[in-house]
Amino acid sequence: MKGKFTIAEIKKHLLTAISYLLPLIVASGLLIAIGNLTGGTNIASIDDLGSMTVPSAFTTLGSMGMGLIPAFIGGYIAYSVADRPGIAPGFLMGEIASFLGAGFLGGLIGGLLVGYIALAIETYLKVPKWAQALMPMMIIPLLSAMLGALIMFFVLGGPLTMFTAALTNFITGLDQSQKALYGFIIGWIGCLDYGGAISKVPNLICDGLMADGIYGPEGIKVLAAMVPPIGVTLGWLLSKAINKPIFKQTEEENIKIAFPMGICMISEGVIPIAMNDLIRTVISTSIGCGVCGAISFSMGVESMVPSGGVFVIPAMTNPLWAVVALLVGSCVTAVLLVLIKKRLTPEQMNDLDVPEDDEEAEVDLSGFSLS
Amino acid sequence: MKLVGVCACTSGIAHTYMAKEKLVKAAEALGHEIHVETQGTIGTEDPLTPEQIAEADAVILAVDIKIDKSRFEGKRVMEVPTSVVLKASKQIINKIEESLN
Repeated sequence: MKGKFTIAEIKKHLLTAISYLLPLIVASGLLIAIGNLTGGTNIASIDDLGSMTVPSAFTTLGSMGMGLIPAFIGGYIAYSVADRPGIAPGFLMGEIASFLGAGFLGGLIGGLLVGYIALAIETYLKVPKWAQALMPMMIIPLLSAMLGALIMFFVLGGPLTMFTAALTNFITGLDQSQKALYGFIIGWIGCLDYGGAISKVPNLICDGLMADGIYGPEGIKVLAAMVPPIGVTLGWLLSKAINKPIFKQTEEENIKIAFPMGICMISEGVIPIAMNDLIRTVISTSIGCGVCGAISFSMGVESMVPSGGVFVIPAMTNPLWAVVALLVGSCVTAVLLVLIKKRLTPEQMNDLDVPEDDEEAEVDLSGFSLS
Repeated sequence: MKLVGVCACTSGIAHTYMAKEKLVKAAEALGHEIHVETQGTIGTEDPLTPEQIAEADAVILAVDIKIDKSRFEGKRVMEVPTSVVLKASKQIINKIEESLN
């Protein structure tokens, strides 16, 4: 069989699906937000078509888009596993997940399941030559959809539905102080490596919860991602104001790039600055992100839009608290940076004239080889 | 040596292009010829031509997601996550060169 069944492979399939899913969620989330802000409601039945307005058209379409999420997840995970023949059965598994109320998780598991079934059929089922054209067109989609349907409805359906319902109840049942704690943890982990492999995990969970109609964690994700760049920028300004230089000139140049990236929710701009003083910077930014998450979650900030930075704050629930969370988190980061980073001498600061250091740190590449 | 590469990350807006820049810079610094295609959210940019692929000694795939690899059948391919390229583009190219010799 072509595909391997390893954690790394499964993560890749999931990331592939997310990459196809993101534009759908961004567009749908913004449609709902714009529609709601202008007074629209979701028109769920054709009988109410007469009351359709322009804002309601946006809200309704956005809701339809959100409803497509499990299908997208299932379809594109299965595509990643089994290539084109996986798409159709994958979308079908996503539809089962929607029907079961198992949303994101259901689509994910259904897509993986049917993808590997399709791949197995493609690999092990030998057909006569005249039937080969039928393989991708009929045999693989039909057989894998049949098997997938049986497993999803009769085996996984019950547990999936129960698990999703339990998770939803757990999160909606949290009181304010519990929310502050979980908000801190989500924000803290979500920014630990500035959009890298560790951050992907809580961010994925937030996306999944959003697909199931829980929008609070997504608010944390959006806001906390902006704390490191904005916090570092504020820290730089603060260090200037109190005359304690903590950034080198090349880092100042980097901050000027990191800030505009940051307000668009790309925290990676902080990486070159963090790399020079990793532990102190990560301590400062991750605590700031945690504080931001705690405030935003406990104060009921919610986001239906998974990305877009400061530009989606007006579309959030409780946008004022969102701004407060963002600013307080960033200020915490700024103050911590100024407190714990070492004061630089003028010689240390002036590193612009030194030719750019192109040396790379040694990285273990033994896991990668030329085929 | 002659190299071709494809970069593709999950969100398709940042790492894809950062990885391309790193690869191009590293290859130039080490004196190799390289063409890099990006597959971002916007779609494919700077697509590799069949001639470039045919002439290449090796293929670098800096990808976090699934891409179509059928074009590279029969070529020597190294696949790495974009995050590794950002940290160690030169080392990757040197490793390819060592493996080829």
